[in-house]
Amino acid sequence: MILDLERFQTQAGPRWSSLESLLVAIEGRPDRRLNPMEAEQLQELYAQAAVDLNRVAHGALAPELRQYLERLVARAYAELHYVPPTRSELWQPRRWLRIFTLFPETFRRQSRYFALAVLITVLGCALGGLAVRYDPAAVDVLLPANYLRNPVQRVHEEEQGKNQDRHSTQSEAAFSAQLIRHNIEVAMLAAALGVTFGIGTALLLFENGVLLGAVAVRYTQQGFGLFMSAWLLPHGVFEIPSILIAGQAGFYLARVLLRRREDRDVRQSMREWLVLIAGTAMMLVWAGVMEAFFSQHHEPVLPYWFKVAVGGAELALLTVYLLLIGRRKTDAQADNRLPAENK
Amino acid sequence: MKDSQPTRWATTAELTIATPEGVLFRLPLAGPASRLYAMVLDIAIVLGTVNGVGLLVYRIFAKAPGYGVMVITLAEFAIGFAYGALLEGFWNGQTIGKRLFHLRVIDQSGLPLRIEQAWVRNLMRVFDALPFAYLVGGLSALSNPLMQRFGDRVAGTLVVRQTPLVAPGEESWTRQKYNSFMDYPTIAMKLRRAATPELASLVQDALRRRNELASYARREIYRELATYLQCEVSPFPDELVEMLSDEHYLINTAGVLFGDQRLSRVHR
Repeated sequence: MILDLERFQTQAGPRWSSLESLLVAIEGRPDRRLNPMEAEQLQELYAQAAVDLNRVAHGALAPELRQYLERLVARAYAELHYVPPTRSELWQPRRWLRIFTLFPETFRRQSRYFALAVLITVLGCALGGLAVRYDPAAVDVLLPANYLRNPVQRVHEEEQGKNQDRHSTQSEAAFSAQLIRHNIEVAMLAAALGVTFGIGTALLLFENGVLLGAVAVRYTQQGFGLFMSAWLLPHGVFEIPSILIAGQAGFYLARVLLRRREDRDVRQSMREWLVLIAGTAMMLVWAGVMEAFFSQHHEPVLPYWFKVAVGGAELALLTVYLLLIGRRKTDAQADNRLPAENK
Repeated sequence: MKDSQPTRWATTAELTIATPEGVLFRLPLAGPASRLYAMVLDIAIVLGTVNGVGLLVYRIFAKAPGYGVMVITLAEFAIGFAYGALLEGFWNGQTIGKRLFHLRVIDQSGLPLRIEQAWVRNLMRVFDALPFAYLVGGLSALSNPLMQRFGDRVAGTLVVRQTPLVAPGEESWTRQKYNSFMDYPTIAMKLRRAATPELASLVQDALRRRNELASYARREIYRELATYLQCEVSPFPDELVEMLSDEHYLINTAGVLFGDQRLSRVHR
């Protein structure tokens, strides 16, 4: 087919302009919704532009016109096939508050990845603990910071209030923000490392476990088990599970990537990953506040039994939240939201 | 893959999408350099915003700088991630840097990206930024035909170039009153059949940039193009070519390639 470009452009030009104006109007709307008349008009103009593109691609040497029409058709195609989120999805605060129930629901749905994260951390803990227990030389390697190697000095300093400069409300506030930021970054990295098919996530959790096990055994060996529990539990009962849940998100991502070709609903899969990260971030905000404002106060300001009790109460509440919130929904409802890979 | 889904394939520079209705179109992919420039600009905007907010917060909390540090630390962190995710999610796949450099993030099936995808690709920056200066993300983009960093691969998105285009206007060579090449319709037809779109664009660009080229460069380029066309593509008779300058040769060639596609003027 040979095309008279001049005549073709003169005839088709007005409808390309109409399509372009319509697209500019739609693309300018945040929710990108079409009314029925616009949808009909867009469908018609898109079909005509597609035919025009086909004629130019096969009937004329007109690279610029072809490029222009391709761009126009691509934009119209995108608007026609895109299903925009409803207005209520975007702007209703109630919808955003659903994260508080979505998080435990997602946590339970993907609990096998949490179990894997726990297993790897426990293995790391065991290795760190055993190394410190049976090989004194390992202490210098596993616990590079002096305050971790020498609990006696640290406990003495803390109990004598030598770090009181950190205990003004203002410095506690600044400290809590730094903790929150650092911990969320580490958690996000654990979740993102799932892209290495989970290997990076596993290494990060294992390293974390080794350090935790080594510190626990070192402090307990030297008779500071109660001090350590009181020091770590009030924030650790949120901080450690949140890193485990970040690891859960990482392993979940690895699974999604491995099965992406079979997965029929990638969008839903990635939403689960995002919900786990959002939940982790919420937990770490609380952990950061507790670590800065509560954990750093020792006897005689706060009795150790009281701090341990607070930690225990927090753990109980967290367990109830993660295991029970959202359970009232029927199994059928829950099944409907399952991503394809779990069906 | 389901039947209703578009098929796609990519070369190093573009992604071709075939829609279920049988429409075929190409999207030009954004190269690493333009993405880097856009990112540097975005980082500058984020740092500027954070410092602006910082000054304001320090004034408000002048008597309690600890709270100021807290607000700044958290605001810097939140703005860093939310800037990209919210702008891309709600502003047609573009941040300010991307808009200025004519880039856009889209779903890899050619559709607009969704807010979840925007969050995923921006949260994955913690991995792509490793170990420094986005080395992991950069290597990932360079090694991938769709030029996706890991965040894009996970979110199923890609970055395309979106330079504004207008419908091409009429060029001077399509309005020639007389084109001596049209006196040889067989050779003209051969030229049109043999010329690839790339060669045709080359001739067109050389003529359009006539006044941008230094005279010696113009002479050299026109001579090389005309010699190539005459020797390798479609040899017009020597007695005609000898009378034409290289520039005139190219104008006539463009007239044949882009002029009235029916060659009707031959018979006028």
